[in-house]
Amino acid sequence: MTHLKLHRISKAFPGVKALQAVDLDIQPGEIHALCGENGAGKSTLMNILAGNLQPDEGNVTINDQPVTIHSPQDAFGKGISIVYQHLSLVENLSVAENIFANQHPTSGWGIIQYDELYQQTELFLRQLQLDKISPRMLVSRLSPAEKQLVEVAKALSKKPSVFILDEPTASLAERETRILFDILLKLKGEGVSIIYISHRLEEVFLLADRISILKDGNYQGTFKKEDLTKDELIRRMVGREIQSLKTESYVQDEILLSVKNLTGERFRGITFQLHRGEILGLAGLIGAGRTEIARALFGADKVISGEVVLRNERLHANHPAECISKGMAYVPEERKTLGLFPEMSIQDNMIVGKLKNALHGRFYNPAKAKQLAIDSTVKLGISTPGVQQKVGNLSGGNQQKVVLAKWLLTNPDVLIVDEPTHGIDVGAKFEVYEILKTLAGQGRGIIMISSDLPELLGICDRIVVIKQGSLVGEFSRNEATEEKILAMASN
Amino acid sequence: MVRKIIEERIYSLLALLVVICVVASLTFPSTFPTFENFSQLLLNLSIDTIVAVGMMLLLISGAFDLSVGSVVAFAGCITAYLMTSLQIPVPLAITFGLLSTICIGYINGYLIAYKGINPMIQTLAMMGIVRGAALMLSGSGVQNLPYWFNAIGQSKLLGIQMPIWYMLVTVALFTFLLNKTIYFRQYYYIGGNEKAADLSGIRVDKVKMMGFVISAALAGIAGILLSSRLGAALPTMGRGLELRVITAVILGGASLSGGYGKIPGALLGALFMGIVANIMVISRVSGYWQEIILGIILIGTLWLDKALQKQYSGRK
Repeated sequence: MTHLKLHRISKAFPGVKALQAVDLDIQPGEIHALCGENGAGKSTLMNILAGNLQPDEGNVTINDQPVTIHSPQDAFGKGISIVYQHLSLVENLSVAENIFANQHPTSGWGIIQYDELYQQTELFLRQLQLDKISPRMLVSRLSPAEKQLVEVAKALSKKPSVFILDEPTASLAERETRILFDILLKLKGEGVSIIYISHRLEEVFLLADRISILKDGNYQGTFKKEDLTKDELIRRMVGREIQSLKTESYVQDEILLSVKNLTGERFRGITFQLHRGEILGLAGLIGAGRTEIARALFGADKVISGEVVLRNERLHANHPAECISKGMAYVPEERKTLGLFPEMSIQDNMIVGKLKNALHGRFYNPAKAKQLAIDSTVKLGISTPGVQQKVGNLSGGNQQKVVLAKWLLTNPDVLIVDEPTHGIDVGAKFEVYEILKTLAGQGRGIIMISSDLPELLGICDRIVVIKQGSLVGEFSRNEATEEKILAMASN
Repeated sequence: MVRKIIEERIYSLLALLVVICVVASLTFPSTFPTFENFSQLLLNLSIDTIVAVGMMLLLISGAFDLSVGSVVAFAGCITAYLMTSLQIPVPLAITFGLLSTICIGYINGYLIAYKGINPMIQTLAMMGIVRGAALMLSGSGVQNLPYWFNAIGQSKLLGIQMPIWYMLVTVALFTFLLNKTIYFRQYYYIGGNEKAADLSGIRVDKVKMMGFVISAALAGIAGILLSSRLGAALPTMGRGLELRVITAVILGGASLSGGYGKIPGALLGALFMGIVANIMVISRVSGYWQEIILGIILIGTLWLDKALQKQYSGRK
């Protein structure tokens, strides 16, 4: 008897087909791994099961009954419970109150019975072998790994029959990972269906009974663990075609930026060099510490030790302002929350990197700012009715180009771009590649962080791989392949 | 044109003010549109407006300061105390009074911008501390202030009382600064998105702290002017001023979440409240109703604003 079955599920977002006719069937009492690269559609599929998204086509059946999952509450009602990649805990409440959120034991008058709540939680945590976590402890005082385990406990408190985990081990150390695996194996014994999403292929082979593969929103098949090798799995996950963009390399001999033994809170001993005209890729899994390295280079986060030399001058930056004045720029990953002023105009957004550009004599001149903004929209091909438009109203691709325009107006030597094509449509992606290529041609150095491997392979001169806060390898443009990078990043 | 009036609070408020003035002039032709009435009206709101300019700056950057009312009292009281009890010359006493308010602003700003204390809590606490200090310095109030000190707020230029001139100069100066200097433009970015501002190279903590210093300094100037005008420094001066000023600034187009507002809006908001209060006095509305009506006007304005904006963005 099939427990949960997805039949020909399709879902499109503006500019992207996230899922195309995906089939999946999950047996009771099995651990079913879902593998695919970033952007393959795993999260979209999970959000459909969680009731956060509705499929455009296809249907879901549970015990052969067709169902529609309208909302997360609806999903709980149908026995589906999810542990998301990001945490959903309330920091200032206790472990017990988080686990039993909205299902506190109450007296007849609706008064919460705290003693009972704590007792129940303690019992529950003991069942999960998490007895080191006290039910009364505030979540804010737990370590990231403990928080992740509380998240798992919270999802399990709903007694699910389908249990979905999205990258649950990203923040776990080995000991906690083992605890988690014990819990999952026990649940499997109780007949719960488990969908396990992970980039860590060892875990997948250790835990899963069957493995399904997604690539670019297309279903690549389901395999028994015994029928699949790791190399075979990687081969089926990757291999997306992306036309080679950068036909020529602009790398010059001069070293622009030299990073030695840079150590911060989430990374250590990072050493690399960036040449003029070079596009250097930082590959790695989500959470490997790439963004943290970028922020530290840019002066936005603290550096514990190590040195950064920009054009033969040692940098001691405590604030991005110092790095900007020395000719660095950083396009952050979270465009809306870190990169843009969504309520302000295109013009204001573009000029902020170097407000002095708009000075006429000693005073700010809006006409000058406007002219600079208009020139930038033309240069980068930003389509908008006018530079007074709110940036928040633009499409993702145009917003990203506004952020790039902001930094180009500061004329940087080193540009760090963090997931520059995340959430923008295919056409705009290629325009962003073109812009980066042109900048490299002008003799600037570019550090590009991306989880989109074909993109890195297509545009970078050199790729270094970051794993759990350390630099673990380097590939030249000719030796790099998706398989090699993925194997190195996920080992 | 219509769209611009609706989108920019300064224009819509100005239009509303004109309508109100015309209606009031027709209804009370002998009492409302007179030079004396307007002169008195502007004099009454000059203190509020000077404080409102600082508050507008803070609200643009997404913060606010509840201690300004107390700072008004403190500035007057400490200056008066120095002049009368310690016999310090007037200019020196004023300088010292202003410096002490700058210190208050610096403490507020430092703890909020660098130490991350919530602006509401910090300035609420400071409101109590500073009011207490004002009481301690002046007891039930200081009278018989030096002639030259009283002259600051009681003299006239071109037939108009000095506080009105000070108010106009403050508004003009800060309008210029916010439009024409890149330092003050930074406040809009901080209010628009603090994290993005930091990553764009704006020293958010420094600039934010300076906002509190400016706000406290303007409140200090207002306090010295007020006690000069009254010829006495009372520890009760500026009680409730902070909420009145925040109301005026919100009416003038600021948003509690930051990023919006223009300095002339602070004047127009205060003017609007002053004129409405003035009309209610002329038409003998009881004092209780005046506060109720002002509250209703504030809520009504914001609600109308949301409704109009929705309609307009819906039509795009």
